[in-house]
Amino acid sequence: MSLRQIAFYGKGGIGKSTTSQNTLAALVEMGQKILIVGCDPKADSTRLILNTKLQDTVLHLAAKAGSVEDLELEDVMKIGYKGIKCTEAGGPEPGVGCAGRGVITAINFLEENGAYDDVDYVSYDVLGDVVCGGFAMPIRENKAQEIYIVMSGEMMALYAANNIARGILKYAGSGGVRLGGLICNERQTDRELDLAESLATKLNTQMIHFVPRDNIVQHAELRRQTVIQYKPDSQQAEEYRQLATKIHANGGKGTIPTPITMEELEDMLLEFGIMKSDEQALAELEAKEKARAAAG
Amino acid sequence: MPQSADTVKDHISLFQEPEYKELFAHKKEQYECRHPDEEVAKQLEYTKSWEYREKNFARQHAVINPPRACQPLGAVFAAAGFEGSMPYVHGSQGCAAYFRSHLSRHFKDASVCVSDSMTEDAAVFGGLANLVDGLQNCNTLYKPKMITISTTCMAEVIGDDLSSFINTAKEKEAIPADLPTPFAHTPSFVGSHITGYDNMIKGIFSYFWDREAQLTPTPGGKINIIPGFDGYAPANNREIKRYLDLMGVDYTLVCDVSDTFDSPTDGTYKMYYGGTTIEDTRAAINAKATLSLQEFSTEKTLDYVATKGQTVAALNSPMGVSGTDAFLMKVAELSGKAIPEALEIERGRLVDAIADSNAWLHGKRVALFGDPDVVYGLTAFLLELGMEPIHILASNGSAEWEQKTKDLLATSRFGDGGTAWRGKDLWHMRSLLFTEPVDLLIGSSYGKYLEKDTGTPFIRLGFPVFDRHHHHRFPTFGYQGALRVLVEILDRIFEVADASSDISYDLTR
Amino acid sequence: MSLDYTVDGAFNEGLIKEAVEAHPEKAGKKRARHLGTVKTDAEGTSTCGVKSNIKSVPGVMTQRGCAYAGAKGVVWGPIKDMVHISHGPVGCGHYSWSQRRNYFNGTVGIDSFVTMQITSDFQERDIVFGGDKNLEKMIDELETMFPLTKGYSILSECPIGLIGDDIEAVSKKKAKDTEKLVVPCRCEGFRGISQSLGHHIANDGIRDWILGKNEQEWETGPYDVNLIADYNIGGDAWPSRKLLEEMGLRVIGQWTGDSTLAEIERAPKAKINLIHCYRSMNYICRHMEETWGIPWLEYNFFGPTQIAKSLRKIAAKFDETIQANAEKVIAKYQPLADAVIAKYQPRLDGKRVMLFVGGLRPRHTATAYEDLGMQVIGSGYEFAHNDDYQRTAEYLKDGTLIYDDASEYELELFIEKLKPDLVGSGIKEKYGTQKMGVPFRQMHSWDYSGPYHGYDGFAVFARDMDLAVNAPVWSKIKAPWKAA
Repeated sequence: MSLRQIAFYGKGGIGKSTTSQNTLAALVEMGQKILIVGCDPKADSTRLILNTKLQDTVLHLAAKAGSVEDLELEDVMKIGYKGIKCTEAGGPEPGVGCAGRGVITAINFLEENGAYDDVDYVSYDVLGDVVCGGFAMPIRENKAQEIYIVMSGEMMALYAANNIARGILKYAGSGGVRLGGLICNERQTDRELDLAESLATKLNTQMIHFVPRDNIVQHAELRRQTVIQYKPDSQQAEEYRQLATKIHANGGKGTIPTPITMEELEDMLLEFGIMKSDEQALAELEAKEKARAAAG
Repeated sequence: MPQSADTVKDHISLFQEPEYKELFAHKKEQYECRHPDEEVAKQLEYTKSWEYREKNFARQHAVINPPRACQPLGAVFAAAGFEGSMPYVHGSQGCAAYFRSHLSRHFKDASVCVSDSMTEDAAVFGGLANLVDGLQNCNTLYKPKMITISTTCMAEVIGDDLSSFINTAKEKEAIPADLPTPFAHTPSFVGSHITGYDNMIKGIFSYFWDREAQLTPTPGGKINIIPGFDGYAPANNREIKRYLDLMGVDYTLVCDVSDTFDSPTDGTYKMYYGGTTIEDTRAAINAKATLSLQEFSTEKTLDYVATKGQTVAALNSPMGVSGTDAFLMKVAELSGKAIPEALEIERGRLVDAIADSNAWLHGKRVALFGDPDVVYGLTAFLLELGMEPIHILASNGSAEWEQKTKDLLATSRFGDGGTAWRGKDLWHMRSLLFTEPVDLLIGSSYGKYLEKDTGTPFIRLGFPVFDRHHHHRFPTFGYQGALRVLVEILDRIFEVADASSDISYDLTR
Repeated sequence: MSLDYTVDGAFNEGLIKEAVEAHPEKAGKKRARHLGTVKTDAEGTSTCGVKSNIKSVPGVMTQRGCAYAGAKGVVWGPIKDMVHISHGPVGCGHYSWSQRRNYFNGTVGIDSFVTMQITSDFQERDIVFGGDKNLEKMIDELETMFPLTKGYSILSECPIGLIGDDIEAVSKKKAKDTEKLVVPCRCEGFRGISQSLGHHIANDGIRDWILGKNEQEWETGPYDVNLIADYNIGGDAWPSRKLLEEMGLRVIGQWTGDSTLAEIERAPKAKINLIHCYRSMNYICRHMEETWGIPWLEYNFFGPTQIAKSLRKIAAKFDETIQANAEKVIAKYQPLADAVIAKYQPRLDGKRVMLFVGGLRPRHTATAYEDLGMQVIGSGYEFAHNDDYQRTAEYLKDGTLIYDDASEYELELFIEKLKPDLVGSGIKEKYGTQKMGVPFRQMHSWDYSGPYHGYDGFAVFARDMDLAVNAPVWSKIKAPWKAA
């Protein structure tokens, strides 16, 4: 089997790293050899796999050593749950430097030093939106072919998902990157499943799995573990296994996304009651003011 | 009056005239508020001390007079070595202006390079629009056979992706889909100009071998020679070709700027002149071996070429007797061709010359700086001459270079006093020259300030040489090149001897 | 009384059409606005008929540089007793290292730093993590290395602005630590569209961080002047200074060629600012006028005609003593000028010149050529604004070809078709032009000659134009067996 490169994108705080690590833990159970490339300056894409605090990142080690040329692969690659190879690009603290450039530097280093040899899957875990060229690095040519967007029924998550689809479209022509599907993390908003499926259709993709909310995920995280490792027999572990199976079967089935315009997105949000129309909002405001006047 | 129409005095003599000396003194005294002369003299003396040297070598952040340029310069140089190739810099336009000026100042020849003039809006929105327009305009106006694209640090920081941008430009029909557009990302905050050279040559190979079409090598008898980033390329490449022709070797000189940067004046300016042909570059995948003349300028390129099943080998600037011997023997080994007697005769002449001059060379202490391969090759030659390389500095040398140079020094007793300094700059060199003086300094034109400060007799050899003309028109490689370098060293030694003593002012040396 | 000759405007209009049509439509449309000929209307007002100070067209090979080049290379770099830090990757400081020929008196590396390349040498880690901390440490190290420096300028290269470093904060902190001037200069190369914005930003730095901050004891005199925006290329400012001093003026500040920080700080004490390069320092002159009421006056010290005119114009701002002195100075040097003209004009008479340079030279040198009997048939600027072209038309004959921000393509075409006897431009243009068999002088660096300012400089100027135009080599371009 040839190397499959996948990437998880999603708005910050959506549960992207949790979802990706649980899914990868399930994939490794299926006998796949995996390399994780964490591309979030927070560097939390491997801790559940390594069962540790945050891993030393490529960039911090490089800064300490002088430059990336002074590093060896062993310095930056740790082995975690069932042999998953873990790396974190790392990046600056908020407000300084250029995190995007950090992603480029780290991935170039890993590739040149043979981190990609002898694995079945490379998985990139990428911060939030495709905000600059650096965060698009994982979807350039010869990098991730399938992108999974982690989202939920919340407005900002939907915005982000659409934006990421746009980023993918930009590179789809030349690099061959495709959208693998949406992964919906349940937030228990109204008609969440319908909304996710509706967005998936509009984006010309599939809602590959709906991950229900379960506190067991937090329990596992507190122990710096995936659910797969913490409670392998739980229903939630089973959900991640299903997701992993679907992704495994999804190779080569990605699509070129059809991101929608802001108006279309807003119409959709209105339709699902996530966003109120101007008239609705005005009416509510008036009612509120009336109530206040009545109270006063 | 200091000036006259009969003998017009320019800056060289005009400012020596009393009127101007007075003007300077008056300005200094009345208006400049400078430190008192004694304080300046005291600090000047202090900078010559060991104590200052130690502080100087403790620097970790301030870089002072580094003899090293940035990646895209090397990439533009590399791009200039191919037939009909227009170097194209994706990013700020000022960089392109700098590269052109820099290369022209050295080669005393035209140097072209377009940029796509990215400005503040491109910094925010990315440079795709600039690249699309830029490629179209460049192709329409200058009709190149290939456009060879590198990046400035601006494009690198915002993370522009050349591969997808170029494809988009072709999809939009800004340029024909079949116009070759090799490219390389060349961030200026990584490595130096030799890294950029390496990245660009690799980019050109991989464009023609993998991207344009997926070529499968069908190994033949040819040998690829990659000269590396070399300020003497016009003459050195011609010399190398002469050797190969004499040996009857079937070869491709990859990246040949010998005509580009040394074209004739005949009444017509030819923007594209010479260079390795595109056909030869495509076919270079079928060579049986690739030989680099500069290991540290071609590391990634050779790794890549090796993946195509070729034998690869690298030298470190074939200078001097052994350096040239090694080159010829390597070519003989790779090609199966014998080294002809004509070359052995040339070798003999060089050895003859060295023997004649040995007494004047013996034990002379030398400081040298420059690009790692050049400095290594020169160090080896100095050891052959019985000279003692003392301070050997490569600001862009790697740990491998340092080790290799140490190993080289260990092969000769003349190397006993030598230290390889990597990552150091010319302000470090200044301290070295004051605290541990030498008889000669060898390096690029930037060394002239060291000569002035420290009084060390200086020989220009390296890149760039801005303040002497036509040095690049004569080789430094090969036996002929070694003779040239030998003569320059000897001339300088004799000049110093003649100027030092009235008593020893001998007619015959 | 300027030289009388005509320029074939109709031919030049044809050339413009040919140049425009060689471009793709969109680019051609853009370039058309930058190409024109000088025209005089019924009221006698001349115009150049070009737009200027607009973004260069990508891919056409503009000859322009960047804001960093304008700020470091032009304005800050020549201030001799400060350390100028090229902040960012190694290249920018390297390519501009010792290239402007800003002459100075001083001890390099001890109390003067003009010919040094001092850089923070950004590595990948600095881009990713930001460069502010290392910049602080760097200044500490420079204090150890160069204790006699009077201060620092921090000249930002492209990445600094992109990664959001706060060099202003670093500057303030280090100014406090070192008790010296530390000036941040946001001259990233991607800002603006040419060197020009760099001049402006550098002027703003002088305005915001130096002027009025460090009041000097200074006994002002009635004849105190500043000589502004002469960068002392090949020593240019010195003959200029000499003329002003011979007139009885006190040059209390010489900006920025061979200048010390004290001369910059003292400037507001002057009675008038005499400005050589309007383009690069009009900003600070306007500021001094607004803030301290100091008037400013443009002058031209190229060639005897303009020198005499300028000396009289300057003198008119002062009393009769100075005015009488000005006449004495003119009378003293006129024989020299006459002798130079007598020697060189016969060899240069009627020779046609094309210029393409920066700041002020495309107009200011025109009369100097005419003093020698030469004719200017084409001129253009790399980075001029509209007010430069307004000042240019009066110097040139109707029909003269004007090319703003000309590309390599356009220059090559114009030179090929106009076949001038001399081209004055820069290093990038030099060798291609000479290959066409056309004599050339670099007019940015004076081709490593100079000075060209003042009467002393005019002699050198005349000699250099002659040696270029009349070099025997131009008769050897064609092999005799091929010569027609």
